[in-house]
Amino acid sequence: MNEIYKRNNAKNFIYISLFFFVIYLCFVYLGIDFERFFSALGRFGNLIATRYYPVDMPYALEPGYLSSILDSIQMGYLGLIIGVIIASVLAYFAASNITPSKKVGYVIGKFFIIFSRSVHETIWTILFVTIVGFGMLAGTMALTMYCIGFFGKLFSEELENVDMKLVETIRSNGANEMQVFAFGVWPQVKTAFTGILIYTWDVCFRASTIIGFFGAGGMGWYLKRNVLQLEYARTSAIIVSIIVLVIFSEALSAYMRDKIYKETQ
Amino acid sequence: MSGYQLSIEDYSKQNSGKIYKKIIFYTALISIIFLSVYFIIILDTDWHRIGSGKAIIEQLSYFIGLDASIMPLLIKPAFETFLMACLGTMLGLLLSLPVAWLGAKNVTPFGMFSFGIARFLMTISRSVHEIIWALIFVGAVGLGALPGILALAFRSVGFISKIISESIEGADKKPIEAIKAAGGSGFDVMYYGIIPQILPTVIGTIIFEWDINIRRSAVMGLVGAGGLGLAFFRQMHMSNYPGVTTVILFIVGLVVLGEILSHFLRKRII
Repeated sequence: MNEIYKRNNAKNFIYISLFFFVIYLCFVYLGIDFERFFSALGRFGNLIATRYYPVDMPYALEPGYLSSILDSIQMGYLGLIIGVIIASVLAYFAASNITPSKKVGYVIGKFFIIFSRSVHETIWTILFVTIVGFGMLAGTMALTMYCIGFFGKLFSEELENVDMKLVETIRSNGANEMQVFAFGVWPQVKTAFTGILIYTWDVCFRASTIIGFFGAGGMGWYLKRNVLQLEYARTSAIIVSIIVLVIFSEALSAYMRDKIYKETQ
Repeated sequence: MSGYQLSIEDYSKQNSGKIYKKIIFYTALISIIFLSVYFIIILDTDWHRIGSGKAIIEQLSYFIGLDASIMPLLIKPAFETFLMACLGTMLGLLLSLPVAWLGAKNVTPFGMFSFGIARFLMTISRSVHEIIWALIFVGAVGLGALPGILALAFRSVGFISKIISESIEGADKKPIEAIKAAGGSGFDVMYYGIIPQILPTVIGTIIFEWDINIRRSAVMGLVGAGGLGLAFFRQMHMSNYPGVTTVILFIVGLVVLGEILSHFLRKRII
């Protein structure tokens, strides 16, 4: 008994030391200074306390900044609407059980959803800014791509989980594809659709606060300006306002989703 | 039987308030769409700068094609991005353990006080975008992979610790009480009673977060934190558009690889 215990201990010791050795190798490979790594939390606290701390809250209440918040909300909203319309169609094709064409439509829908999901929203922003120039149009297009990826994935998974018995019943009664979707699939996913829509709005708004950093208007643009001008007090004011807005939108979306699920059950 | 009948007038009377509410709600939603279209597409967009459809297609055509010459140079950043995601998730897990411990209602040591602090930390971590975290850490520890790792870790804390503390709250109480009755300390309860119960959920969450972190770590370079983002930034600023396409393909490949890996790993665990 004691021997087994000892042997296990030795094995564990070897595994743990191997684990730390691999992490050490990663650190060396990435060229990370250990002194910097272990002092990082202290430096972070120091930076917050000395630079960011006296938050210049009046700056966040200036009319220019407040109107940029409205810009962000509008970008998020429009991007959401266009993105959801495109994503619903793509998700219909990308759901393996109800897709009208398994060979072509499924592959195309899945590919588009995965592709727009894989690329981060900031990279989309940079790409669209090079194509259509600075401004809110580029941001809206970037958020559209972001919503296609996010909403498309969640909604296609929801579509794949529908009860196929109902769908088959309607199909065997001679309904065409449109009727099957309208009477067999849609009533089953209606609640989930609304829930995912609200959740996507929440996430999309969160993304819209930052994409201005890469030239797409809204609050991010103010953030970038103040970061480049080393106006730490104003930067922290913007970050605080973003946190407050995100908490508010999160609470709103949670409340609305809760209400919808309660109404339907 | 007549009590069960519902005349059309009654029905419409019951629902008319609801219908008016619905009409107002949807009209508001649609009018916001038109308002946003007006502000964004008509007022804010410089159509002269965009030019005709031909100009857009010309601009898009720059991106077509791959730059084979930079491909060998992208392997190291891709690996860096991957490592950043792994280390960031690990560090995030390490940081989120105490937060999760404080944030679970049934094991938190100082009641509402520590619970409130933990919830506050979780919310801050989730509300601040990874780009902002990276900006702050680039200011704190300098350029390189380190700020990326720290930013990913801080961003992951919110999600991981929320899931862990929720699963601690939902853990079965019987084994915990049995250990307490046998005279186990608080640590014993945690180690033998709670951790074996929540381990599968926690590992699934960590793999999920790791998958997301690969995507996030690919943009850390945009604000000075190394990896594929830096390569993207360079190619973009050199206006080497085929190179940009190549970098994006590398990012997509890496993310898809991570997604496939996480899918199989989670299947094996659950």
